[in-house]
Amino acid sequence: MRVDDEPAPEEGPEEEPRQVAWSQLAQDTAVTLWPSFLAASVATMFFFAFFDPSLFGEGAVPPRWLAHRMAGYAVGFFFFWAICTLSSALTLYLVRTASRPGTHPRR
Amino acid sequence: MNPPAAKDAPASFYEAHKKIYPREIDGRFQRLRNLAVWVLLGLYYLLPWVPWDGRQSVLFDLPARKFYVFGLVFWPQDFFYLTWLLVILGLSLFFFTALAGRLWCGYACPQTVWTDVFMSIERRIEGDRNRRLKLDRGPWTGEKILRKGSKHLAWALLALWTGFTFVGFFTPIQELAAKVVSLSTGPWETFWVLFYSFATWGNAGLMREQVCKYMCPYARFQSAMFDQDTLIIAYDTGRGEPRGARARTADRKSRGLGDCIDCKACVQVCPTGIDIREGLQYECIACAACIDACDAVMDKMNYPRGLVRYTSQKSLEGGGTTVVRPRMIVYGGLLALLVIGFIVSISMRTPVGLDVMRDRNALYRKLPDGVIENVYLLRILNKDTATHRYVLTAAGLPGIEIDAGMTEHVVGPGEVYSVAARVRVPAAPAGGSHEIEIHAASPDAPRLKASRTARFLGP
Repeated sequence: MRVDDEPAPEEGPEEEPRQVAWSQLAQDTAVTLWPSFLAASVATMFFFAFFDPSLFGEGAVPPRWLAHRMAGYAVGFFFFWAICTLSSALTLYLVRTASRPGTHPRR
Repeated sequence: MNPPAAKDAPASFYEAHKKIYPREIDGRFQRLRNLAVWVLLGLYYLLPWVPWDGRQSVLFDLPARKFYVFGLVFWPQDFFYLTWLLVILGLSLFFFTALAGRLWCGYACPQTVWTDVFMSIERRIEGDRNRRLKLDRGPWTGEKILRKGSKHLAWALLALWTGFTFVGFFTPIQELAAKVVSLSTGPWETFWVLFYSFATWGNAGLMREQVCKYMCPYARFQSAMFDQDTLIIAYDTGRGEPRGARARTADRKSRGLGDCIDCKACVQVCPTGIDIREGLQYECIACAACIDACDAVMDKMNYPRGLVRYTSQKSLEGGGTTVVRPRMIVYGGLLALLVIGFIVSISMRTPVGLDVMRDRNALYRKLPDGVIENVYLLRILNKDTATHRYVLTAAGLPGIEIDAGMTEHVVGPGEVYSVAARVRVPAAPAGGSHEIEIHAASPDAPRLKASRTARFLGP
């Protein structure tokens, strides 16, 4: 940090625009994917704490390819994430498209 | 010229993300943050390699469904403790937020910690703030390609190591390392290493403060835990304003100026690109970089430090800060209770589990002399880290006895021991179905015992 007798207000090449924002699309993607990721993590943790995917292997229950535990956990996690993303996206859509007082002309 | 139809339409619905170029800073809080980064990342990267009792010290062994934390072994049946721990962590967040604001964001959040490391790599390769600005504005020369390329290479390597370590918490890291070296990792291991690496690279390298601004729920609700006594980072408006440039020798009083020389150092160092002088903003992650920047300037100007400082709303308005207040007592008391309860409960945990399942093939069997026999499949879980002997007994009906082949069953550490047990009563009990109890107890220690109730069926 250099401060001379007359401190220069800015050392950089020029003043940077400080207004920083993500695009609407990036924001929408982020607020859809991230909360659903968190919720899916919790759901996965609870679900697999009580349920062992290797039990799929017992008998001839159809999804036997899930019986491998690591596959079961991963598929379970992404399943939860997909469902939670759907919920997030719908919530976002409904909040966005809700009519608010003043947004429509009076009938 | 715009066509008339487009005149009223906004230029674009999508505002472009403008990159922030935080200026590097040294100072008390930056050194504290560096220390936090070293300690936290040191723990993260090294802990899986620390051995404990001949295995990995911290291993959340998902394939085996067992969590090892130093001397403790947790089973899915111990899920309760994980929930309890999450409650403790949540309450800690309340406690520390009420006490000192966004300490978590500034010093401990993985997003902050990894962003710090990624930015310091960027600084080493692309140079300081001005050089980075010039480099980004300049044409794609050979040097620019080289610098940008090596930055992303260094980022990718660190991200891969991070992803590898992450998977190393869930599957034994030494075996994983051997597999990586011989390029024989399983599909899911490969996938998760790459997934977590990509997330690290994207979060810490590219998205950075945008994660805090747009994605983090804590950033939005932390203000609800604040009160007038919470420590915040704030600009002392009364002292600083009116701001303005001046010579170091100038008498600011006669010029009618405050202490702020409007050098914008606080703005340039801010990783989220805000101006702290505009007041408390939810984008502020309380990293204290602006305090360090401003203190350095104040030192050079021979003004007292602390124009931007840790303070509370109350003390900014002329009052003192009360640390011990009802909110802190309630949060602190609850937290202490939960932590003590957690420790006591874990230390008194019974490290043995017993499962009893009826044999599906027969309801009961009639033996000579009127003896009735039921068969059960027993499972003894030894959650301890030592081998133990277990003796099985049954109770609940007159003359009941249990025969599981031998008197003592030796169960190794972490073993699930299965045995078929025949439970007999000398005479058929009246009424068909009865509740009995099956006990497993170890002569090794009195606390090593477990009981389960079961149905005993007769004619």
